[in-house]
Amino acid sequence: MPDHPTDGAGDELALWVAAALARHDAVPDDVVEAARGSFSWRTIDAELAELAYDSTADATPLAGVRGVARTRTLSFEAPDLTVEVEVEEAGGRTVTGQLVPPQPATVELRHPAGVITAEADELGRFRATGVPAGPVSLLCHSRRNPSTLVETDWIVL
Amino acid sequence: MDDTPVADLVRGAACGDRAAWDGLVERFAGLVWAVARSHGMAPADAADVSQTVWLRLVEHLGRLRDPDRLPGWLAVTTRNECLRVLRHRGRQVPTDDPVAPETGDDGPAVDHRLLAEERDGLVWDAFRRLSQPCQLLLRLLLADPPLSYAEIGEALGMPVGSIGPTRARCLDRLRSTPEISRITAATPGSWG
Repeated sequence: MPDHPTDGAGDELALWVAAALARHDAVPDDVVEAARGSFSWRTIDAELAELAYDSTADATPLAGVRGVARTRTLSFEAPDLTVEVEVEEAGGRTVTGQLVPPQPATVELRHPAGVITAEADELGRFRATGVPAGPVSLLCHSRRNPSTLVETDWIVL
Repeated sequence: MDDTPVADLVRGAACGDRAAWDGLVERFAGLVWAVARSHGMAPADAADVSQTVWLRLVEHLGRLRDPDRLPGWLAVTTRNECLRVLRHRGRQVPTDDPVAPETGDDGPAVDHRLLAEERDGLVWDAFRRLSQPCQLLLRLLLADPPLSYAEIGEALGMPVGSIGPTRARCLDRLRSTPEISRITAATPGSWG
């Protein structure tokens, strides 16, 4: 590291820390592989709906009581489309969604292991069950306006 | 790829160049992991957070306001995702890992030589009791491949000039732990 000032007294200890981290907490190979593989999820031409609201931010510490089924509300906003979802965690995740403005669409729930496809009805309502925990992004292709293709920010469910 | 400016890698990846993307991963996978682990994520959660951050970057490649500041973007995005995970589980970020300090004299007697594995274990225990900011700074300073002081300052929102002194303070705290004292005592000619 050529731009680091040397600190002789700390160098040996720093080497010990580097060795300890390398043995006990190096970045796992599968984590690096997954990062590389993320490139395959690149969608061209989709508009990004950024996370605008997450009910988790409102949660009080008591909300983490074990055994209580919890509902989480998320809202993603793109210029022409808002995607609102409720996630229930009772026995596997169920995602219930609403497109605003309401419109029929094909909604792909993407996660690292695959895709779950749901159909939004005339009122923009859709539902998907068995959604795995972990990173999820919704890709919404409007059937009313075929040029409307929106993907939500990836988020850990 | 090693000396390619970050902004060029970002632009390349945004145009579909997979090698440029791999270059970004190679350079910064350690940074994302370090931030996640320093925020109390267990390895499985850190893996989820890491993947989410990289997936998010894929979608933001063409939209980053300032590609030069990618280390900061990665650190902030990782931190936010960790806080989201922690809040969702109703937990605070742990400031101390519950690892009891080595009390020193209760190990096997007389053999003063320490195997590298034993030393690494002691250092790891002491390291995890450091403050979260010290853990994160040291992880980034010791990353492989190395990050520049500019990248670390960018990632942590710290002035570059304060990195050296903070590094020294963090190492001093580590040096004063029972584990490090034990290693120093067992290692001839060492002063930590």
